This record gives sequence, structure tokens and C-alpha cells, in this order.
Amino acid sequence: MIKAYNQTWVENLHIQRRASEWKSKNLLTADQEEQVKALLPEKFYRPGIFVKIGLFFFAVIACSFFAGLLSLFVGDTGSDVSFSTASLICCACFLFYLEYLIRTKNLFHSGVDNALLYAAVVAAMVPVFLLFEHAPLWLYCVIALALVIPATLRYADLLGPIAIFGLVFTIVAELMMKFTAGKALLPFAVMILSGSIYVLARQSRDIYYKECRQILEVLSLATFYLGGNYLVVRELNAVINGLNLSVAPQIAFAPLFYFFTFVIPVAYVIFGLKNADRILLIVGLVAFAFSAYTYLNYFSPLSASQELVLAGTLLISAAIALIKYLKTPRGGISDEQDRRNSLANLQAIIAAQQLGVSPGEQGLEFGGGNFGGGGAGEVY
Amino acid sequence: MTTKSILNSLTGKGIISAQQADSIASFEGEKAFSVHGELRAILYVGILLFSSGAGVLIYENIDTIGHQAIIAAIALITAGCFYYTYKHSQPYTHGQADDPNKLVGYVLLLGCSTFLGLEGYLQFQYNLFGTRYGLAAIIPTALFFFCAYRFDHRGALSMAITGLASWLGLTIAPLSVLSANDFSDGKLIIPAIALGSVLTAVGWISEEQNVKKHFAFTYMLMGGNLACIAAQIELFNHSAKLLYFFIGIALCCFFVLRARRAQSLLFLLMGTVYGYCIVTYVIFTNLGADAALGLGIFYFLFSSVGVIYFLLNFKKFLGIKK
Repeated sequence: MIKAYNQTWVENLHIQRRASEWKSKNLLTADQEEQVKALLPEKFYRPGIFVKIGLFFFAVIACSFFAGLLSLFVGDTGSDVSFSTASLICCACFLFYLEYLIRTKNLFHSGVDNALLYAAVVAAMVPVFLLFEHAPLWLYCVIALALVIPATLRYADLLGPIAIFGLVFTIVAELMMKFTAGKALLPFAVMILSGSIYVLARQSRDIYYKECRQILEVLSLATFYLGGNYLVVRELNAVINGLNLSVAPQIAFAPLFYFFTFVIPVAYVIFGLKNADRILLIVGLVAFAFSAYTYLNYFSPLSASQELVLAGTLLISAAIALIKYLKTPRGGISDEQDRRNSLANLQAIIAAQQLGVSPGEQGLEFGGGNFGGGGAGEVY
Repeated sequence: MTTKSILNSLTGKGIISAQQADSIASFEGEKAFSVHGELRAILYVGILLFSSGAGVLIYENIDTIGHQAIIAAIALITAGCFYYTYKHSQPYTHGQADDPNKLVGYVLLLGCSTFLGLEGYLQFQYNLFGTRYGLAAIIPTALFFFCAYRFDHRGALSMAITGLASWLGLTIAPLSVLSANDFSDGKLIIPAIALGSVLTAVGWISEEQNVKKHFAFTYMLMGGNLACIAAQIELFNHSAKLLYFFIGIALCCFFVLRARRAQSLLFLLMGTVYGYCIVTYVIFTNLGADAALGLGIFYFLFSSVGVIYFLLNFKKFLGIKK
């Protein structure tokens, strides 16, 4: 029994989601959707995101004060050994509660279980730091990996793949930095490693790890791009070699990195559209924006504000042109609104933050995206 | 799990016929890849970049372009945006307008932000409003409220609310309530609590009366946060503690009870967290330092476990079915 959560329920949850998707396209009747829910049930406790945040927040408080309470009883917390013991006892208690709550309360990434898992992993890591003092960084990372990988396989927690990814890259970077040749080849190592992680992650077909796989995909695509990005390579090269210059010097293989900087985002976007892969498409778009920034950073004759206006104009016109062009679907791509705009509330908040009126200090100011439109503070 | 295996299990359970499974499979095979969200995001980023860039650009070149030219250009853009919005808008409804033309909302937002720019420019250059800053703040507020209701746009609504707050001298943008407001002299506290409560009440009323129900979230989030934070600051700083304790607790109770009917559980969280802070603060200030130190560890452990228990079973406590 390697998986902590009920595999059948996870699968049923996925089936229910697909069924409601088909229902919204009128491929299933409402009765059939109800039947799906009745015959393929799931009983997970899945509150809204905000209740999850609250649960997580209070679970963290409870865990830390539990640890504090325990350390009162263990006594003599000054020595490393007793502190480590207390920490391991905490870890065991957290794991016990984690399993207990998953069984009895049917938790499924509901905030409490996330917090308990993180607390358990941290508590398990504390003795490692106390007992192996002054060990090399990669050793800590290897031990952490030995804890995080089984935990991720069992709980499929979303922070798991992020931690694994970071640890693997830290180990590789740490080992490569020891050699001069390693430093020069670091970008290529990063690209190869990211590529292999991407390919490996794509192999996973298990629905239980779907979100973990997606996170790994996003991260590996991003690091693959950043490893080949001219700006990142040039600036990091200067930092790694301890050059304290105002302008980072030119790098070896510069044309190759220009090529990567341009081609990778374009390839992401094209393959994303072709294979209907939203992750590729979105990472590609963001990467493209960063490529544009890379270009402007080194070769632009324009000032920052001119670039902003230019970029804004280009984006607005490109988006409008594409929306008009895709009024009828073309080449397997459409502009159909297939889900409700769940971000409408968020957009409203961003508008208030970015465009809203704020009381000006001295009359009216222009600048930085905040139009001081009101100017009331002084008088009232 | 592929589409095929899902369909197989559905046919296996006898929920759908083999024919229906075939039609679903062929729909999935031919389904066009929608880039709707991505295009909207690009448009949104474009508007943010353009409006912030344009502001700085004008400011930098104020000497060379000529004021009339700049004002004419901004006015033209603003008028164009409002005209486009008006022309393509749906007739007013109390509900959420179903918007077939997906551009309108963004154009309206651009128009609103350039209108702010225009007004600011006129004031900066020609001192149009003199020292009547209140008038300068209330004009865009009124316009944005009108636009929000007429064209059914939450972004315009939140801009209107920030305008209203700035008329009182407050910053209400969600991330700046604490950082950008100077609550220390206490003069802003009463207006902040009053405005927050009024906004919350307006949100409540619009939900009860079924007038632009989907606006309630924006009203309550911005108003509720403002009122709760202001009440807490006053509770921590000033003497009339009992009054502000009751105001704060009343607001928190209101939010927790709101969660009964509101779809968003954000309010449940807001009520719980703010309420927890207030109660904890009151208990510890009344206990005195020694007792607080001894009890603290137990208090926090058991109270947070209690809150977790509440949140895990909130449906039962609040009598929500399902």
C-alpha cells in the first residue's frame, strides 16, 4: 500500500470532472451525470481554496506549538541528542496524525494534511542538520531526497516535485562547480538534465500523480529554456566566476545562446498549439516575453517607458487581431470560451491594485503604473 | 487514464450506450484547442503595460510634446474606448450580462484608466479642480460606478470603490490596506470602518435583492478587509477597546454567517482569522504577562486545533446541507 489516498476515489474524481465537462457540452444528460456521481463515488473532504489556506495556517500553528509543548517535557533541550530525539518523536506524531486524519476525515490535499506532511519532513530533517555538522551541501541534499521522494510517491503532494527538482539541480550544480570545465558546461548540463526530467515525467500515466507530473513539466520546460537563455547564461557566468563588473562580459558560444533564446520559445509555442498542450503553450509564451526582454536588455535603443508602450501596443494589437482571426476555429485552434471565467474576481482585484485611484501625497503624480487621480490625502 | 478507458468504464457500468461513447470519443478527437484564456491574458498584460508605459512616457516628454496634443490624444483614446463600449454593450440587466463580444470589458478598462490619466493631467497642468480634491476624486468614482453597473464590469467596479475610498483619503487596494494607509493618528479609523461597513452592506443588499449579485464578492472583500483591519488597529492602539472589540467581533460573525449562503468560502476564512486574532489579543492583554507566558503554549495548541476542527466540520456547524 504505497499510496496514502484512496486510488479509486482519485480516479472517480477525475471521471466525474470529465463527465461534467461533457455534460456542459451536452454530450451527457443531467441524469447520466448524476449516475456517474452515484456509481463512481468519491468521499474526499475538499473544501474551497480559502478554507484550505485557513486549515493550513492553523495546522502550522498547532504543529509548532505541539513541538514546543513536547520540548517542555523532554527537558534538557540544550544537547543535540535530546533535541534530535524530541524532533523525531514530533515527526512520528505528525505522521501518525496525518495517516489518522486521512483515514477518518477523508482529507485530500485539504491543508491540514499538507501542513502535517511538511512538519513531519522538517522534523525528520532537523537531526540530520544537528548530527552531520559541516557536511558538504550535496550530502544534505541527498539525504533530503531520500526523505522527499518516498513522501511524494506516497502523498503526491504538490510541493514534493518542486523540492525534488530543486534538490537534484542543487546537487548537479554543486558537483559541477568544483571543476573549471564544469562551470563552462553548466548551461548544457542544466538543459540535458531538464530535458531528461521532462521526458521521464511524461512517461507517468498514473492519474494519482497528474498534478505532480504537470509541475515537473512546467519546471523542466522553464529550466531548459533558462539554461539556454543568453541573458541568464551571461549574467550567471559573471557571478559564478566572481567578476565584479558593471557589465557582464561576453560569453563563449554566444551565437548558440542567441539561437536557443529565440528558437526554444517559438518551438514551445508551436508544439504546444500542435499537440494541444497548454503547459507547453503557456511556458512558451512566458519564455517568449523573457526572450524579448533579453533582446531589449542588450540591444535596445529605446528607453524603458518607450519599450513598455511599444510592448503594450504590440500585445494589444496582436491579441485583438488573433481574436478576430479565430472567430471561426482554424487549424484545430479556436477562441471558444470553454470554461467559465473563474478569474473574473481576481482580475477585478488586480485592476484595483494596478489602475485604481489612490490618494496622492502632493497634488498629482504620474509614474510606475499608478495614476494618482484623486489627490485627497492632504486636505482630508 | 485516457478518454478511452473512462468511456469504457462508463459503458461497463451501463451509464452510457456504446453509440454515445463513440460520439464522445469522436468529439474529443476533433475538439479544437481553445486559446481563449491565453489571448485574454495577453490582452490584459498589454493594457497594463501600455497604460503604465504611457504614463511615464508622457511625464518624461512633457516639455517636447505639447500639452494640448497630449490632452487631445488621451481624450481621444478615452472617448474612443467609451464609444466602443457603449456601442457594443448589452442592455442593462439585474443579473450577469452574457457577453458575446469578449473585447468590450477590456476596452472599458482601458478607457477608465486613460480617463484617470486625463483627469490627472488636466489637474497637474491647468489646476482644473484647484484645491477641491474631493471633486477630483468623486468624478471618476461616479463615472466608474455608472460604467460598472451599465456595462456589467467588475474591474470598473473595483476601480470605483478605490475612487470612493480615495475621496475619504484612504487606500483600499487589497495589498496596500495596511502599508499605504496612515492609521496612526486615528482620524482615518472611523471613516475606514464606516466605509468598509457600508461597502459590505451594499454587497449584502445586492445579493439579497438580486441586483448584480456577482458584484457582492468585490464589495464584501474590499469593504470587509478594510473594516476588519481598521477595527483591529484601533483595538490594538486606542482606549475605547470595548467598542472596537464588539465592532470587530460583529464583523467576523457576519462573515462567518455569510459563508452559509455565499459561494465563496473566502469570507469564512476572513471571519475566522480576524476573529481569532481579536479574541487572542483580548485574552492575552487581560491576562497579564506572567499568566500569558505560562498559558500561551497550551492556548495556541488547543485553540488552533479547535479552529481546525471548526473548519473541518463547518458545514455541520453552520447547518449547510450537502
